[in-house]
Order: sequence, then C-alpha cells, then structure tokens
Amino acid sequence: MKITEIGESVRIALSALRINLLRSVLTTSGVVVGVVLVVVMGWTIKGLDSVWERTIGIIGRDMLYIDKWNWSGGHNWKKLESRKDITLKQALLLAERMESADLTVPLARKWGGTVNYGSKQVLCGVQGTTHEYGTTPAGAASEGRWFNSIEDARAADVVVIGYGIARTLFPDGGSIGKILKVHGFPFRIIGVVEKRGFLFMDFIDNQVFIPLSSFQKAYGFFDRSFSVAIKAGSEQLLNIVRDEAVGHMREIRNVPPGREDDFSVNEMEAFDQQVSTIRTVIWIVGIGLTVLAFIVGSIGIMNIMFVSVTERTREIGIRKAIGARKRSILLQFLVESSTLCVIGALIAMPISQVIVAAARSILIGPLEQDWVSVVSPFIQIDLLLIAVGVSIVVGLLAGLIPARRASALDPVDALRFE
Amino acid sequence: MAEIIDIRHIAKIYEMGDEDVHALEDVTLTIKQNEYIAVMGPSGSGKSTLMNMLGCLDTPTSGTYLFKGENVSEMSDDDLAEIRNREIGFVFQTFNLLPRATSLHNVELPLVYSGIRSKERIARAEEALRQVGLSDRMDHKPNELSGGQRQRVAIARALVTHPSIILADEPTGNLDTKTGQDIMALFMDLWHAGNTVILVTHEEEVAQHANRIVRLRDGRIESDTVNEFTNSVP
Repeated sequence: MKITEIGESVRIALSALRINLLRSVLTTSGVVVGVVLVVVMGWTIKGLDSVWERTIGIIGRDMLYIDKWNWSGGHNWKKLESRKDITLKQALLLAERMESADLTVPLARKWGGTVNYGSKQVLCGVQGTTHEYGTTPAGAASEGRWFNSIEDARAADVVVIGYGIARTLFPDGGSIGKILKVHGFPFRIIGVVEKRGFLFMDFIDNQVFIPLSSFQKAYGFFDRSFSVAIKAGSEQLLNIVRDEAVGHMREIRNVPPGREDDFSVNEMEAFDQQVSTIRTVIWIVGIGLTVLAFIVGSIGIMNIMFVSVTERTREIGIRKAIGARKRSILLQFLVESSTLCVIGALIAMPISQVIVAAARSILIGPLEQDWVSVVSPFIQIDLLLIAVGVSIVVGLLAGLIPARRASALDPVDALRFE
Repeated sequence: MAEIIDIRHIAKIYEMGDEDVHALEDVTLTIKQNEYIAVMGPSGSGKSTLMNMLGCLDTPTSGTYLFKGENVSEMSDDDLAEIRNREIGFVFQTFNLLPRATSLHNVELPLVYSGIRSKERIARAEEALRQVGLSDRMDHKPNELSGGQRQRVAIARALVTHPSIILADEPTGNLDTKTGQDIMALFMDLWHAGNTVILVTHEEEVAQHANRIVRLRDGRIESDTVNEFTNSVP
C-alpha cells in the first residue's frame, strides 16, 4: 500500500459522493439515527453525572450517618428491623465522645409526617436536630437562617423547610415568618434550605427541620430510633472518623467482640450505586437502540456500495490496468464507505445538538425540572469524536464485502464491462 | 537490442460451458527493445487475448512468458499489477479515461499507484501532456475534449511512467481518418524517440506504420514479417 493512494482514495470518495449527493445523504440516514442516539445518550449520562456530582457536593462526601437502617439496598429487612433502636441517650453519648470529627449531631426522623399551611397539606419527612446541623452543607439555608442554640435549648416552635416544601406551599415565595403546622403544632418558618436533590434524591428537599427538643414535644421520643450525622471534615478523614464512631457505638451499645455491628454507617456512596444503576439502564437501552440503528444503517451503506462498485466496474478495470493492486481498490471503496458514514455523523451533529438543547429547555421550562440547569446545553467534544470514530468503524464494516468484491474483479472482464 | 518480451509456446484456453475454447495455441514470440510491432488478424483470431497476455492483464494457461527475464506466467495478481504499472503503458480503443478526472489527474494516476509524491507526479504528468501536445488542456475533463485529444491524454498516461512497452489496442478505432493519422504520427514519434510500441489492429493501413507485422489466425501465428514499406526507420 503506497501512502499516495490514501490521498487518491479520499479524493475519489469525495468526488463520487458529490456526484450522487442526494443518494449519499439518504443512504446515511440510518447512520445519522445511530449517531444521534449515541450522542444524546452520552450527553444524558454526562448530565446525570454532573447533576449527581453537584448534589453530592452540596451534601458533602464527608458525611456519615449512624442509623439503625441501612440506606443501600440488598439487606435483610427483617434483620435490620430486629435491631434495637438507637436511643437519644446513645446518640448524645456518641456526640459527646467523638473527637476526630468536625461535627456530630443527633437526628430524629419522622417519615410521612404531615405539615399544613392554611388549607394545603403535604406529607413529608420531619427531622429533629440541633443548631449545629445548620452548619453542615446539608443545612445550608438559601433564605432566612437555621435555628440557633437558644432556640434549640428552649424547644422553640421554629422550622426550617426544604426547597421542595417551599415550592409546593409557597410557589410565589415569601415563606419566611409564616406559621406552618407540623403534626398539628404551629411552627414559625425561619429558613429555607437550598435545592439539593434530584430524581430519586427528591426526598431530601421534601423535609422540614425543627429543633430536637421541639421534635420531642410534637412526636415524643418513645419507640423511636435516632440517628447521628457526623461530618468528618474531609473525605480523607472518613476512614479514621468511621472507625472511631464504630468503636464508640459498639461500646455504647455493648456489642460483644466478634459480633457484627447492630447499627449501620451510611455514606453517600450508598447513592452512588443507585446512580450507577440508572446509568447502566440508560446504557443498555441506548446501546440497544444504537446497535439497531447502525445495523439498519450499515445495510443501507452496504447496498449503496454494491451499486457503486457495479457502476464503476469499468473504472476499476482502468485502475487495475494501470497498476492498482487489490489492496488499492479495497482501500478506495473502504474510504468511500467510511466517508459516507462520516458524512452521516456530520449531519447527525447539529440534529443531536438541537435535540439536546430542546430536551434541556423543555425539562427546565414547562416541566419545571430546574435541576437540569447544571447540565451543559452543548454536546461535549469527546462525544463528537466518539461518534465520528464509531461511524468510521461502521463504514469500514459495511464497506468490506462490496470493497472485496471490487478488488477481486478481473481487469480484463472489468475493462470489457459496459 | 535487448529482449523485452519472450513468449514460448503459450496457450490460452477458456471454458465456455462444456466446451473449451482455444483462444491461443502454441504462440512463440520475442520482442526486442525499440521495435514497432503490429499484431494483426481478423476478429476471433486471438489478438485481444494475446494483447491481454502481453499486457500482463491475464496469464497463459500453459507456456512461459518472460518479461525482461522475469517469469510473468507464475506471478500473483498484485505482482502483475506492479509490472503493468512499471513496465507497460496501455492505450485503448475506447480511451478508458476516468470521466470525472481532469486530463492532468488522469495522466497522474499511474504514478499514484507507483507511490510517487504529488509534486513530482504533477511535474511528470505535465511533461507527458506537453509531449502529446496538450499543454493547454490539462484542466479539461474527458467530456470537454475531442476524440483525438482524449486519445492523446491516454497516450500521455501511457508514457508518464516511462514504460518498457507501449501497448495500443486499436488506438484509431474510434477516430476519424484525419485524427487517426495524427495519432499514428504520434506513435511514430514515440518510436523514433526510442520507445517500444506494440499495436493491435485489424486495419492493414494502420499496421503498415510498424516495422514488423505479426499476423494471427485461429489462435496461431500465421506470419511474422519485417515490414520493409515502413515509412521511416529510426
């Protein structure tokens, strides 16, 4: 194979495509669909990742939650159920003993609590916690403030509401200062937590926070398991902090040596798994559709390449007569078929960009999924490169059989072809 | 003069259904450098088969073909392609130019397959076109040229690799008499310039330009004579 032949092949391919422009463009439609699917799928996954990174960034990867329950699935529910509740006393003891962590805060949770504002009622999680929780990223207020240590100590009737609750009950804003009924008790709204969750993490935004002491007034502490939020300070410290917390908890709950923990240490990683499940589903569906589109596309390409070989039999004869080897002819037609596919990829790019931009603005606008706003409205360069690469491979595969047929033509017969 | 082509007892048999067609039988022929040979014969005499054989487009069923001492009869398709590229310049009755390529690109083409860089290719193609008197038609495509001009482009393409032989198959067959004479004059010039020319024709008048005439009949050489009437000898 002479290097000069590659230039010649590209030149032939482009001129052949120019002559049959409409035919070429129509032929690539399968490839166009395939490339659009690849690019849109890639963009979706990248978008999911960036939304997830942002969510994690707000909550903090350095947070540990000591809980009776385990957040990630796959555990024996009955076994978890049979664990003894974590009492407030144990939670406070742990908070007192922890040394390596930045913060250790006891929490009480009520899932499916009711809050009312005027005639509106929503079901949501109610968390009782301390003023210190407000200093973690999970308690960052976008409006108003968190409750302070005095309100904490006095069991003040103040509430900080999650972003989702604020949106539902006060679509026009102005929630601060309003009186919200939590489990029937009036609480004054003093703050709104900023938006953190998305998709399955939505529950994070559908919570309200009240001082632990006020929680006791509303719900009582009887028959209730507490959890403890621990902020390690940095991801590097997670292991040290986890070990210390586990050690203290085992001691506090009298777990004999050799017996497994009767509590769980939950980390944000538990959610990583769920995100990767979503990713996998997108991949499988996307890859399935893409492969289908490329199969259809490559049959079209193969067909048109057979036509092209037949139409140009005489040209092949001339080229062979003046010294083109089998490989030269093979290369020529492979370049032509992959050029066709690259043209398909080029057509697909603006289409994908339009789809992506439209999907994004529909999600943010009419569907009010404003978490999508952290997703880039543009297709990433690496996706475009992958798309071009994949389409070249498809072109080579689709062109192989026609190109082999062309290269095997007998020069005498080919020259005689009318 | 050195021998370029040495064919010994070659035969070519085609299978046509159940029947074997003997296109060539026991043909022995040597061609020396700077000969001008006309291969003549009626249709069906085996001219085309012999021309395909001489041009290394096809290999004999039996017998040996030595091209400059190399045994062509046992070569692979790709080796034959290389011999054609390096040693043989074809001129066809129907010109066989690439319709979408300019004259210059058509002439460049053999050099592409020799692996010669673009700059040198263009220089040599321009030189070949100048030689056939088409310096002013380099950017024209075949459909913008007359028949005679197309055949000149084809001749330039044959010359551009400086081949050992120029193999012309009925080069005037699609041209009017006047243009045909011009083309024959060009072959004469090429012969005088030292080229070896093999001309396949069925026209006596055309054959008379050559200095040696090989006549075929029914796949065999009927006669092989020096043409004393040839208008000019180099």
